[in-house]
Amino acid sequence: MRESKLSGVLFLLLLMVVWELAAQRQWLNPLIVPPLSRIFASFGSLVAAGDIPLQILASLKRAAIGYVLAAAVFIPLGILMGLFDGCRRALDVIIEMLRPIPPPVVIPVALLFFGLEDEMKIFVIFFSCAWPILLNTLEGVRSIERLLLYTARTFGLSHARIIWQVVLPASSPQIMTGLRISLPITLILVVISEMVGSADGIGYFILDAQRRFKVAQMYAGMLALAIVGYGLNLLFNLAHRTFLAWHWGMLREQQR
Amino acid sequence: MNRSSSFNWLGWLIFAGLLSMWEYGARANPKLQFYIPPVSEILVALFNLSASGQVAGHLLATVSRFVQGYAIAALLAVSLGVLLGYFRSAYGILEIVIEFLRPMPSVAIIPVAVLTLGIGDGMIVAVTVYASVWPILVNTIDGVKHIEPILIDTARTFGLRRWAILWRIVVPGAAPYIVTGLRISLSIALILVTTAEMIAGSRGLGFFILDQERSFNSSNMYAGIIIVAALGYGLNRLFLTLEGNVLRWRRGMIAQQPV
Repeated sequence: MRESKLSGVLFLLLLMVVWELAAQRQWLNPLIVPPLSRIFASFGSLVAAGDIPLQILASLKRAAIGYVLAAAVFIPLGILMGLFDGCRRALDVIIEMLRPIPPPVVIPVALLFFGLEDEMKIFVIFFSCAWPILLNTLEGVRSIERLLLYTARTFGLSHARIIWQVVLPASSPQIMTGLRISLPITLILVVISEMVGSADGIGYFILDAQRRFKVAQMYAGMLALAIVGYGLNLLFNLAHRTFLAWHWGMLREQQR
Repeated sequence: MNRSSSFNWLGWLIFAGLLSMWEYGARANPKLQFYIPPVSEILVALFNLSASGQVAGHLLATVSRFVQGYAIAALLAVSLGVLLGYFRSAYGILEIVIEFLRPMPSVAIIPVAVLTLGIGDGMIVAVTVYASVWPILVNTIDGVKHIEPILIDTARTFGLRRWAILWRIVVPGAAPYIVTGLRISLSIALILVTTAEMIAGSRGLGFFILDQERSFNSSNMYAGIIIVAALGYGLNRLFLTLEGNVLRWRRGMIAQQPV
């Protein structure tokens, strides 16, 4: 395993050297493929000048608000729908009607209502995270052993305590799955909505750099985005391990 | 999703109630109609657009880009995935590059594609391929890794050649995983096509919807969204039907296993 990791790193380095050489010798159009060194230099100066951190921050703020709002609305809704069959049947048709809409198509609607404001992106993220969170929570709650619920009821626990002490812990792995699936979706949608209608944010930054033919800056923005994506994933795993240690351990066990 | 096969009266009733509230609310508030035109007007717009053939060209453009992008991605990712899953050393070499590229939201590739390929079908197809490759690739690699080594050893004992093993043992063995990847990529491909059309397109449903918003034709915009949703729904249905046919052998196998 260690050996293959080493060969992987070597291959990556080789690719980078080839890129650098190809760009330096202008084998490829330098307008499209600038040397890696220039991309890194551009990245460094943009980070130092605060441009990239500022844009990332703007994007992350929108992403976080939309994501948290979606979780705050759709986890409780999913629990309700999972516990009460009438509730699920009542909303089932509406959900099945809305679900096939590809999320980016909602951007024009959000533009119509909110213009270029932050609310536009937040709404789009909220909408696109809704389905993974809602449907996973719903499935999680429905797959709880009914015996658990009956036992809790027999012991005279109140509804609130049943939800808090039985339903929520028992369905938390599935809720976590929904939240995990939503994470990259959030990032994708914030970038798309910033490309379609925005004056700042990392998505806007990348598209704008391309339109001005500042290609090194464009790649620098993409690099920043990749780092953010990687970092968010790490953060999520950390949260998973901290709050759901038992489930994290189970998953690791299965993967072996 | 319904466990009971009985018709969901309650759900449809509430859906109809919501639509009539929408209709009534929009008719009662003329100011609101700019944002939310009455449902009836949206349906009329949908009918007019379909009857006049105005939207057919956009629909066709979107579908053809989708089909091309998705098919190329599937072909590329499955063959690469099978090879990488089977030849561990190749995977070891490429793993870091894959892990490096994957966390970047795929839409960020659109500006690069515009730069290299300009604005047009080629760009949109390329972007769709790039984004749809990852789920299929990762799932295929996973699937190949999960195949019982005994199967492959047996095949080798029987003197099957390498390509025969890949084609007759590895691909069918990994099929359930491959299908999972293909299903995830189905919606991703549609997302990428419509996004690319919005950002840099002059045809296609994504362009049409954004264009109608910019010219404040909200009825047409909603009608376009209904068409895209129908397209997404239809594609998903088609996929499930095909999956049912292709993987029928597996369903039989699972049913035979003692529970």
